[in-house]
Amino acid sequence: MSAIAAKPAGNAGAFQPVASVIAIILAIVFIGVAYLLGNMGIFSGGAMVPMMTLVGIIVGAALIAFGVHFVPVGGAPAAMGQSPGIATGVAMLATGAGLAGLFGGAWAASLGFGVALAGGAIGGGLMMAVTCLMVNISYVYGMGIPAASGKVAKDPITGDSQAEYKSQGTEGHGLPFISYVGGVIGGLFGGLGGTLIYVQLLNFYNASFAAVGIVGEDAPVLAVGLAGIFAIGMFLVIAVLSAYNITGTIEGPHDPKFKRFPRAIVAAICASGICGLVAMLVVAVL
Amino acid sequence: MSVKVEASHDGIPHNKVMAMGLILALVSLYIAVAGAYAGYDYLAFFGGIAAVGALIWGNSTIKKLCSYGIGTGVPSAGMLAFGSGVLAMLFAAKLAVINVFLVPIAGLIIALIVGLVLGWISNSVLNMKIPVMTRSIAELAAVGCVALMGLTVVATGHVAFSEITAFNLDIFGITVSFYDVSYIGAGLIAVSFMLGAIALQHPFNACLGPGEKQDRTNMLAIECGFLSMIVMAVISFAFVSLVAAWISLVIALIGWFVSYKKYFALSKRDAAAWLDAKPFSDAEE
Repeated sequence: MSAIAAKPAGNAGAFQPVASVIAIILAIVFIGVAYLLGNMGIFSGGAMVPMMTLVGIIVGAALIAFGVHFVPVGGAPAAMGQSPGIATGVAMLATGAGLAGLFGGAWAASLGFGVALAGGAIGGGLMMAVTCLMVNISYVYGMGIPAASGKVAKDPITGDSQAEYKSQGTEGHGLPFISYVGGVIGGLFGGLGGTLIYVQLLNFYNASFAAVGIVGEDAPVLAVGLAGIFAIGMFLVIAVLSAYNITGTIEGPHDPKFKRFPRAIVAAICASGICGLVAMLVVAVL
Repeated sequence: MSVKVEASHDGIPHNKVMAMGLILALVSLYIAVAGAYAGYDYLAFFGGIAAVGALIWGNSTIKKLCSYGIGTGVPSAGMLAFGSGVLAMLFAAKLAVINVFLVPIAGLIIALIVGLVLGWISNSVLNMKIPVMTRSIAELAAVGCVALMGLTVVATGHVAFSEITAFNLDIFGITVSFYDVSYIGAGLIAVSFMLGAIALQHPFNACLGPGEKQDRTNMLAIECGFLSMIVMAVISFAFVSLVAAWISLVIALIGWFVSYKKYFALSKRDAAAWLDAKPFSDAEE
């Protein structure tokens, strides 16, 4: 069967209790392994530092998975004005927002934990705000279509009715106000989560390099490079898993698909557990 | 009325493509690693061959996975592959402390473990219910790891963590390490990450649909692999000896040119066949 004829096999919204419990247990096992390896001296910094680093990574990943569900994505139909949202895939858009935030946070990392997280969140939110604005400009002035949601009768924030503006035979079009706000919130969460992962890894690497004898003026640069590439890698993994959860398009927080987010958070917790553990093992003392 | 879509029949079954790609990648990687172990970096270009082998394998896997319609588009699979592959690749590089010949096989195994967990999550927790999902994502993680390792070898001539994180310079017999101008410290790994991820997701994304032919898609994968290798060969001028960098560049250019010509010929062949076809074959019903 070819790709263009196939339909997404994902079952809408169904929560998988058994698999979710196993995933959470797996994540706890990964945290336990980090604690044990710290206790045995394979990770530097004692037992608590590696454990808290991994917990921070998992919290960051859960924030990313939650944030991705806010981002309005329309895919190819949106490019033709037949569905609301930005005309690209979930993974691409979430990655754009998250990496914009990550770079903002990375720049601010030396100014302290709180400033870095705020910088990351604002960077991600700003990127989404600019994207949403330019998308609406091209929809309204380029394609000549008004923004209308196909999922709700009235915009949950402004209360404006949508049906009169919706073209027949479409799922809606443009980027309604609620989707715009959702996109910015998604960017904030994505940037915050990505920066949290980055800062956790950066602090861990800086401490570990000193312990294994990689010292010098430019050793922190190496920590930045490593933490950066791992944060990007993990961000992509979490964004793609969340995209699998959404399967295709989502309008924003008012879309029925938004209710699937607990599944993605469970998936992100388990996935970031193993990814974070592997990323930390890179600086293990061998 | 439903539009009839012809399934793409593969001349070579997936398992055979996988075995060929894997063997080509591992053998090439080991030749390159052996060269680095012996102190010569002239064999660094074998890393590019390894990347091409891995991409042929990964391309076949993506084709198998995406024929189920995962709802997110083909590119996401390439990003997932390299996102998990980079973790495994760097952890495996760390194991060069024990033995440098451990690195390629260890990377493969670690990537398969990470990929199995991620595949299980997408299939069971996210309820995708695609029979080949777990296996495919495990394979993709391994492909990402091996392809990234191959591109790294082309650029730096080494796979060991101590070599790709530091630029070692002998000054009056004393080895001085500069971390900020290394492959990772300077962020060059991000270049190979994106080059590899795009080379992995592009071929099937570009060729999918009715009339997709296995040999044409594979040829595009080879072409993308050599195209990525050209950039890595240019980067390698900063890390390996001049002769080795030129060897990599010339081989990459020749490989790209030959595969591009072949891909162009295959596209012409299939385009002529497509013009005669009737896509809406059940329109008269």
